[in-house]
Parts: sequence; structure tokens; C-alpha cells
Amino acid sequence: MPDLRIVNLEGTRRYISLLRAQHRLIAARREGTLSSDVALVLEHAPVFTLGRNATREHLKVSETFLTERGIQVVQAERGGDITYHGPGQVVAYLIFDLRAARMRIPDYISRLEEAMIRVARDFDVPAGRNPLNPGVWVGNRKLGSIGIAVRHGIAYHGLALNANLSLEPFTWIHPCGLTGISMTSLKEERGRDIKIEDVKSALSGHLKDLFEGRGIAVNPMSSLGEIAIRP
Amino acid sequence: MKELNELILPDDVRFTEDHEWARREGETVRVGISDYAQDQLGDIVFVELPEAGSTFGKGDEFGTVESVKTVSELYMPVGGEVVTVNEELVDHPEYVNTDPYGKGWMIEVKPDDLSEMDALLDRDAYLRQLEG
Repeated sequence: MPDLRIVNLEGTRRYISLLRAQHRLIAARREGTLSSDVALVLEHAPVFTLGRNATREHLKVSETFLTERGIQVVQAERGGDITYHGPGQVVAYLIFDLRAARMRIPDYISRLEEAMIRVARDFDVPAGRNPLNPGVWVGNRKLGSIGIAVRHGIAYHGLALNANLSLEPFTWIHPCGLTGISMTSLKEERGRDIKIEDVKSALSGHLKDLFEGRGIAVNPMSSLGEIAIRP
Repeated sequence: MKELNELILPDDVRFTEDHEWARREGETVRVGISDYAQDQLGDIVFVELPEAGSTFGKGDEFGTVESVKTVSELYMPVGGEVVTVNEELVDHPEYVNTDPYGKGWMIEVKPDDLSEMDALLDRDAYLRQLEG
């Protein structure tokens, strides 16, 4: 496998700016100006995103209700249905050349799930897979989600792991189009506060192990050069 | 992942570097994705195809396939007008996995320039690319 460069971005980031960053990274990866895979580890500003097969019926409140709370609804290119991202949730976007790694998509997804399961274990939360629904679960409570898109053999988007975010926005949707399930977080499961930076660093470490990455950088704007992530 | 010698790679189709296949059938070209591509994607749950009558250039995105939690783009092997789409895939997206060169075909194109077919990879060239 090629190297995986892990970039830990600080602060909360707008969904749209990360989408543009991913598009630039895919183009660079495809053209060969970017020779390594990249993982961006970050938190988003509050946003609802609709996957390609999402339906707005899975949004239980009006868009006006959300606008009043400063929350956008955006169309995403990834697979999956509707979901929420916000502060307190750790997102990892991997720009990953599946062809160079000779990896099947089910194996790739399984590794992303494994990274989240290992992070949960670090915080003494017994999380696992559910054979019917992808993602990472504690019982029937969903702790982490997966959504991937593939352009010319290069995967982008990735995973979202609930650390200590407010779970209220999930009650405004049927997450991932599922009914009768609830969302959870590491904080909820542990009953104590969790430091988001600890979760980001645990996730970065496990991604590094699982994808044979070489190092973890924090906010290395200059080294990403042309493809730098703007806040 | 299937070993290369397990892959079904027919002689009567041409391939793209993005793993679509194209088969000339008279004046039109039938398009789908290769056995390698369907294996790499895993179980396909949805195929999004264009309307008949749409036109695209060579290399343009004409649709997507969705395997579990993953959306992958599809690209035109040759430019032209989509004359027919495989409506069977609406109810049976799994045909792309089980019969990628037969019942899993996706669209039929009336090419603007049939000679674009010549630029596609034949079986041996495609296999060499897979061996990378």
C-alpha cells in the first residue's frame, strides 16, 4: 500500500470547504502530483447531509427550523442516506487509491469500521459490527457511520464517530434512513466527558496502523501546498 | 479479491482503464462494467442510469453504481447518444455482479464516432493493466 498521510485539522470545518478539498486531493492523486493517500481528521460545523439515495422524508423537521438554528442541509456525493455532522463528532475523510492498494470496497469499509471499533475500545466502549447495517454499533445504538464515494478508483469521504456531540439533532431525522434505532456517543456510553482531541488522536493512530501510514501531522497547511485546506 | 486468472474477460468486448466494457452490436455499442469492477465493488444494491436520449462525451460520467455505503461513478467508453438503458437493473441490480457482460449490461450507445472503440483496451491490454 502507498503511504497514508494523516492530517489532523483543528477547529470546526465547513462541510463544503472539505468537499472542495477532497475534490482537489482526488484530482492531485489521480494526476500523480500527490503520491500518498491522505486522511483528514476533523470536526464539522453543524450540518445535515443527504447521501445519493437519501430522501428528504427522512428529515422530520422543516428546513426553516434548521435554518433558524444555523444548520445547513447539503447534498453529498457519498453513499448512504441522511446524517448529521457537528462539533463533538470526529470525521475522517480518506483520499485512498483503492486500485494502488488492490483493495475491494467491502475490505476497505471493514477497515474503517475496525478503526472506529478500536477507538471505542480505547475508551472502554464495547462496540462492534451489525451484519444488517454497516457502521459501528453498541447494541442497537449507532456509534459510528460510513459513507464512501469512488471517482476513477479513488475513494473519498469516509467515517464519522460520535465522541461527545449533542445527540439531539439526530432526533430530527431518521438517521441513515433507519427507524427504530438510536444514536449514541462515547460520552453517552461512558457517562463521562470525553476530550475530542483524545478521540482524534486515537483515531489517527488506529488509521495509521490499519493503513500502514507513516506519520501524523497536525495542521500541516504548508506541506499540503496547493491542496491546502482553508477554514 | 478474485485472482487475475479467475476473472472472466471476454474476447468480444473492449475495456476502459476505469473498468467499463463496450461491445459493438451493429451500429450501437453496449456498455457495462467488467468482472474485475463488480468484484471490487462488492454487492451492488442500486444502479443509477441516464435517460434514453441523453448524450455524453467519451469519459463523461453517465451514472453511478451503489454497493453498500459506497457510490462509484461510471464513465462513457465512447461518446454518443444513449439509445437504451437496461431497465431490468432497477429491480435486479445484482445482475451486474452475477452476469456483468450479459444481463448486467447498463446502456446502449449510438456512438458519434465508432473509431473511438479502437482506442479502448483489448482483453490482453486490459489484463496487462490489471497486472500493473
